[in-house]
Amino acid sequence: MFVVLFLFLGGFFLSIVRTNYPSILGVAADISIERLIMLTNIERQKQGLPPLIENSQLSIAASLKANDMFVQNYWAHNSPDGKTPWYFIREAGYNYTYAGENLAKGFETAEEAVKAWMASPKHRTNVLSENFNEVGFAVKKGRLNGEETVLIVEAFGNQGTAPSIAVNRERQEVFSVSDNEETASFPSVSKQTLIGSLSLTSNISKIILSVFMLTLILDILVVKRKKIIRFVGHNLDHIFFLGLMFILIMGALGKGVII
Amino acid sequence: MSTEGKKHTGYYIGLLAILGFGLFMTFGFSYGARWQMFFIFLTAFFYIIWGILHHLIDHDLTLKIVIEYILIGSLGITVAFFLLKGGLF
Repeated sequence: MFVVLFLFLGGFFLSIVRTNYPSILGVAADISIERLIMLTNIERQKQGLPPLIENSQLSIAASLKANDMFVQNYWAHNSPDGKTPWYFIREAGYNYTYAGENLAKGFETAEEAVKAWMASPKHRTNVLSENFNEVGFAVKKGRLNGEETVLIVEAFGNQGTAPSIAVNRERQEVFSVSDNEETASFPSVSKQTLIGSLSLTSNISKIILSVFMLTLILDILVVKRKKIIRFVGHNLDHIFFLGLMFILIMGALGKGVII
Repeated sequence: MSTEGKKHTGYYIGLLAILGFGLFMTFGFSYGARWQMFFIFLTAFFYIIWGILHHLIDHDLTLKIVIEYILIGSLGITVAFFLLKGGLF
C-alpha cells in the first residue's frame, strides 16, 4: 500500500519538479536534424524511393510551426486561431504542389521518433509518399501545457509541377507567424538537463516491479519447501500481472506522442 | 487431465487473455500515452475481477484476498502513472 501511495504521489511530485525545475529534472533529448533526415531517407530507400532533399524554406516553415505551438500553447495540426500547416509553408516562401506534415513530442532520440511515425499508417504514408521530394525539420525544446517537452515538426513538400494541389489533409498543421530570427537553423536539441525524467521514472519502476516479483517468487519457494497452508491470493497470478507491467515498461510506455 | 487441472487451465487461459489484451492494446497505442494509461487501468481492473472470481469459484475468497488483488492491480496502475506522469506529461 505504501509503494502504491509512493508511486502515485511520486508521479505528481516529479511532474511538478519537472515543470518548475527543468534544468534539474527534465526531458533529456538528443535529436539532430541530420539524423532525422538520414533515418527518414533510410526508410524511403528500403521501399526503393528517392531520398528527400532538405529544403531550408521547409525547415523555416517547420520552425515557425514549432514556435507557434509553444507561443499559442497547443498540440494539434491546426492552431486555435484556425491556421493550417500550409499557412506556415507558404509563409516561409515555399510554393508547394504537394505538402504534408508529421508531428512528434516527448521523444528522446531521432530513432524513436522516426520509428513511431513508421508504426503509424498515416504518418508512414507521409514519410513514404512519392509526392514529396523535399523535407524540412524543426526540433525545439519548450513548454507546452505547462510541461517541458521536445517538439519535432517534419514538413514535407514538392514544388514541381503536378496535376493539382494535393495537400495531405491528414497531416495538416498550423502555426502563426512569430518572430523567427532563430528559426532558420535548428540543428538539434541535445541533453540539457541533470536527470532525464523518463529514464529516472522508468528505472525506479523497473526496480520496484523486480523487487515485488522476486519477493513473490521467493514466497512461492518458501511456502512450498515448508509446506505452509494459507489462504492468500495466488502469487503466480501476481507475477504474471507484474511481469506484464515490466514488459510494457521495457517496450511500450513513455515513448512520446505523435499526431 | 483431472477436473481440477482443467479448471486451473481455464482460469489461466482467462488470465492470459486479459494480459494479452493489455499487452496488445498498450503496444498498439505505444505513441499515445493517455490511451496507454486507459488500457493499463482496464487491464488491472479486469485482473482484479478475474482474481476475485477465481477465488469465489474456488470457495476460498476472503477480504484479505480481495485487498491483495486490489493492491497488486493498483501497483500496476500506479507504476504506469508514475512513469507517464512523472516522466512524460
